[in-house]
Amino acid sequence: MSNKPSRKTSPSAKVRAASASGRSSTVWWWVGLGVLVVVIAVVAVAVGRSSDSGSDAGGSASPSGGTVVPNGDLKYGTVTVSGTPLPKAGGAGADPAVGDTLPTITGETFDGSPITIGPDGKPQVVMVVAHWCPHCGREVPKLQKWLDENGMPTDVELVTLATANDNTAPKFPAGDWLRKEKWSVPTLLDDEQSTGGQALGVSGYPYFIVVDAEGKVVFRTSGELTTEQFELLLEAARTGVAPT
Amino acid sequence: MRDLLPVETMSVFFAVLALLCWVIVVALVAGALVRRSRRGRPGRLEPLRDDIGRMALPLAWVIAVVTTLGSLYYSKVMEYVPCELCWYQRIVIYPFAVILGIAAWRRDAGIRVYAVPVLAIGMVISAYHTWIQAYPPSDGTSFCTADAPCTTRYVWEFGFVSLPFMALSAMVAMTALLLVARPAAGRAAIQE
Repeated sequence: MSNKPSRKTSPSAKVRAASASGRSSTVWWWVGLGVLVVVIAVVAVAVGRSSDSGSDAGGSASPSGGTVVPNGDLKYGTVTVSGTPLPKAGGAGADPAVGDTLPTITGETFDGSPITIGPDGKPQVVMVVAHWCPHCGREVPKLQKWLDENGMPTDVELVTLATANDNTAPKFPAGDWLRKEKWSVPTLLDDEQSTGGQALGVSGYPYFIVVDAEGKVVFRTSGELTTEQFELLLEAARTGVAPT
Repeated sequence: MRDLLPVETMSVFFAVLALLCWVIVVALVAGALVRRSRRGRPGRLEPLRDDIGRMALPLAWVIAVVTTLGSLYYSKVMEYVPCELCWYQRIVIYPFAVILGIAAWRRDAGIRVYAVPVLAIGMVISAYHTWIQAYPPSDGTSFCTADAPCTTRYVWEFGFVSLPFMALSAMVAMTALLLVARPAAGRAAIQE
C-alpha cells in the first residue's frame, strides 16, 4: 500500500516536492488512525471482560432468594423421558394436554449435575426457553427482576427447560446467556434433538406449562408474558384452575 | 479461537469502528461544505484536502478488508449462518477487499465510476436489512417458532448496532472516500 509516486508518471520537480511533503503529513494521519484503532481495541477488550464476568456468577446467591444457575460450559445435555409426552397445542380449540400428567424429563444442568422436570407433589410452572429467541431474551430479565423483587415463590415450584439449543445461533450456549442474566430458576439443559421440548409438546418460545400439585397440566401458553400474566400463571398453579 | 477472540469484545470493537465510519462520513461532508463556501479562496486547509485525497483510496480499501475479515469472523469463528441478505451484502463488499487494494496501489481514483454504483446497490440492501432487524415486521405473535425464527439480531451493540448496520456504515464510508479520492499526480491528465 505504497504512497510512493510512480516513476512512470514523471511529475515535475515542484509536484514531486509537494507529493513528498504530502506523504509525510499523511503518515501522521495513518499513525493517528492506527492509535485510534488500538484505543478502540483496548476499550473493546475492557468492555468485553466486564460483560463476561457475569458468566462467573454461577451458583451464587440471588436477590430472589434462589441460586443463580451453575457455572459450567455444557453445550447440550443428556436427556431421558419417561411417561407420556404431551401433545402439541392445536390451532383453534382446547389444548389437548390439559389434564394430562407431566412426563418426567431426567437430565442435567450446566455443570452436569442432575435435575429432573416432572410431577413432584407441588404445583409448578415449567418455563421453556430458547437461547436464540429474542422474546425469551426479553422475558428472562423481566421475570428475573420480578423474582428479585418478590422472591422465589415458596408454594409454586419454578423450573426451566433450555431447549432448541443451536450452536450456529446467537447467545449459544444457553448457560452463558442465563448466567449473564443471573437466572435463579433451576434449569435443565435439553439435548441436541430437543427431546425434552418435544416431550412437553412445545410449539413456540417462550413456553409456559402450569402444573397442579398432582402433576396434571392445568394450562399451557406460548409467548412473551407480562409480569401480571406471570402472576396469573402462579395463581393458576396454586388453584389448579386455568387463568381466564 | 473463540476464547482468543471472544464475541462480546469483537462485537464492541466492530460496532465502534462502524460508528467511526459515520464520523468519517460526517467529517468529509462537513469539509466539502466548508470548502464549497470558500470557493475561490483556498485557505490553509488545501494541504489537508490534498492529504485526504491521497488517503481516501487506501482507507476505503482498509475498510473493505476489515469488513470482510469481520464478516468471516462471525461466520467461521462464531459459526453464525449468513442469511440471504447477508450473502448479497458480502457479494458487494468482498471483491473490494482486492479491487480497492489494487486501485490504492495504482492511485486510480477513477475506480469510483465502477465502485460507487455497486456500493449503492449494497447500501440499499444493507439499509433494508438494518431496518428489519431494528423494526422486525411483526406477524402479530409474541413468540418464536422453530419454523419461522424471528429476524435474528446476531449482534446488537449500544442498542442499535447490528451486523447489517456495520455493513451499511462501511459502504457509506467507502462511497464517501471514493468520492473525495484524488488521482495520482499527472494521472488527471490521462483520465477521461
